[in-house]
Amino acid sequence: MVWKLQKLTGQPPVCFQPATQAEPVSMLPSLDRRRFLLHSGFVSTQYSLLISTALALATPMASAETPEAALAFSTLQAHEAAGLESIAGRILPEDESGPGAIKGGVIYFIDKVLGSSRQEWLGLLREGLLELDAQAMNAHGSASFALLESAKQDELLRAIEQTTFFDTMRMLTMAGMFALPEYGGNRDHAGWQLIGFGHHQVWQPPFGHYDADYIARGE
Amino acid sequence: MAEVTMPTFPTREAVDFVIIGSGSAGGIVAKELSNAGLKVVVLEQGPHLKSADFKHDEWAYVHNEELVWGRRKGHPQTFRRSASEKAEIADASVLNYAHNVGGSSVHFSGNFWRLRPIDFHERSVVGAIEGTTLADWPISYEELEPYYTKVDWEIGVSGLMGPWDPPRSRDYPCAPMPVKSSGVLLERGAKAMGWTAYPAPVAILSQPHNGRPPCIHCGFCNGFGCEVSAKSSSLVTMIPLALASGNCELRTGCTAARIETDDSGRVTEVVYWEADGTVQAQRAKAVVLCSNGAETPRLLFLSESSRFPNGLANSSGVVGQNLMFNGSSRAVGLFEHEVNAHKSIATTRVVHDFYSIDAKHGFYGGGGIDERSTSAGRPMQAALSGSIFGGSSWGSDYKRNLAMEFTHTASFSGHCTSLPMASNNVTLDPEVKDKWGRPALRTTFMNHPDDFATMKFFMERSMEMLDAVGAIKKEGSYTQSGQTGGVHLLGTCRMGDDPASSVVDRYNRSHDVPNLFMVDGSSMVTSGRGQPTMTIMALAFRAAEHMIAAARRGEV
Repeated sequence: MVWKLQKLTGQPPVCFQPATQAEPVSMLPSLDRRRFLLHSGFVSTQYSLLISTALALATPMASAETPEAALAFSTLQAHEAAGLESIAGRILPEDESGPGAIKGGVIYFIDKVLGSSRQEWLGLLREGLLELDAQAMNAHGSASFALLESAKQDELLRAIEQTTFFDTMRMLTMAGMFALPEYGGNRDHAGWQLIGFGHHQVWQPPFGHYDADYIARGE
Repeated sequence: MAEVTMPTFPTREAVDFVIIGSGSAGGIVAKELSNAGLKVVVLEQGPHLKSADFKHDEWAYVHNEELVWGRRKGHPQTFRRSASEKAEIADASVLNYAHNVGGSSVHFSGNFWRLRPIDFHERSVVGAIEGTTLADWPISYEELEPYYTKVDWEIGVSGLMGPWDPPRSRDYPCAPMPVKSSGVLLERGAKAMGWTAYPAPVAILSQPHNGRPPCIHCGFCNGFGCEVSAKSSSLVTMIPLALASGNCELRTGCTAARIETDDSGRVTEVVYWEADGTVQAQRAKAVVLCSNGAETPRLLFLSESSRFPNGLANSSGVVGQNLMFNGSSRAVGLFEHEVNAHKSIATTRVVHDFYSIDAKHGFYGGGGIDERSTSAGRPMQAALSGSIFGGSSWGSDYKRNLAMEFTHTASFSGHCTSLPMASNNVTLDPEVKDKWGRPALRTTFMNHPDDFATMKFFMERSMEMLDAVGAIKKEGSYTQSGQTGGVHLLGTCRMGDDPASSVVDRYNRSHDVPNLFMVDGSSMVTSGRGQPTMTIMALAFRAAEHMIAAARRGEV
């Protein structure tokens, strides 16, 4: 379950329940999907097409580092992948605490699930990305959100924090960064290393500082 | 164990018993009856997964619902707060349970608290509570104790006998699990407050038992299956013994549609769908419903007839009523050193000093507090629910919070009573259908005011312990708008001596239909304090003993 969403809706944090009880995505339909559109001023179909064409030249950064994977998108167009990847890269940025969603290959997870278990989200993300690109043009004269500098990207994202689009991107970014690497993200265990999770089959006591101390003191 | 070929019983000849469901209760009933020489068919909706099939795959199990059947698999459920509202389709399952051989015992955390003597006669002690149907059980703790001990030894429970236990006739078969850092913190916090934290009794092996190996502390109990068979699920304890008897046929992928009765009002056969939709009907001398507190009442409603217009076995009208989930609260603390609560089992210490909250507080309730990982030990869940103590939900600050929270927090979790109320119930939705065309489960639920007061009480005691043990930061919560679902599905076919106010008798037999039994969480008259599976299993051993005796007397 999502702690923050749980708090928003006043639901109990029942940590012994399987998270299917309150899977974060479960909250998405209850948020106002149209709210994102209201934030965005105008966007004409023609304008969107122009942006799309311009973006077709962009390629996702993760794929640039692994050329063999550059053609690997099965669901997203390259410019869509670049746009969504840049958002994921601000949700979990690379910084002094380590690699972020881009190095973690989160976009490959997103591409994979949008073509399988989360096909129903593809339209929402495509629409939302077009809106965001239009905002990048309106606010900064940039051809796309992906091409903006980080601070301006953050500013635009902060303005849409409460939208279904952003919530969905946040969910997918976390899922991709912390899922088993076989789903395409969490490359080199980037996500797991961030939180200190070692994926070992077997652990033995002591598990942490306090049980080691407990044994040492003979409590 | 010698390999035994599973029998194939003809559907048109009556077997002794059809058991619907292979979970905590169904596994035990199947094993007991088949080992007594009775011919048994078990119908299970889900697949027969094996221990080697289980993975640490949070995306598949938690988000794609591979071990449970929710909306993603064509089983929507609806929810509303009161009978005056129209129920809406819930985004996640309201009544949550696993669909596989072994049922929810495959993915549970294995916390095996017994009920205590007070639980069985609490109505007599505390009196009537307005707005509730609080009642005494028709049986006592003393009557159930031998069967709790049977669960300890036949299923496999680890724990430490001590003054904290309710009266017990025999020690635990396995030593307690090693304490985790979160358990040490709870124990120290409790001690500082003058309370006692004792080793949590769990259905997970600390040492070899009944041919199964001990736990390897992988940390993936809650919501996952155990890949080494150390978790004492029905899947690895009872089902293999049932199959080894040569008297039990386990049919997987089979969903019960309806229980048929004859002119005399006796059950004759169970109609069911095979996985591909083929309709079958298995004749039986008797039927045992072990389908859990949600599906058991649903199947009774679906089996209505001119003789049973309100649903089978429902002359009392209370089938589906008195739904209870157990309340909960949470208090998360941040600590200076590594806690690593994600390793090993869910919890290793329990505080039961407030099993019954003093009446001077002005409300009814009781429960226990144990310690947990803040994110059920799951990395993705931790990442989705970070900034526990406040702050941004994304970006560099969020990332910094995540880096601390997974390893340096523990939750002191309250588990407590739910009051039974007629208005909290499971019914058939009048509009929404599942993939088989059956009316969806509709839940109507709003907590009693005393439930809220109880959850708040346990959150406050947990916060006091966090302070006492030096948490750097803390954050507490409980639902203030009411529970919207649960994994403990209790009370919906309550047990009692009076056929006017209960569904099954003291031996889990229907008051109305002599060859129909209901054995699962639905039988529970009160909710206990938070961990019902031990009691569901003890009731199953006890009920099975009486079924066997009745069958031998020719009385089913």
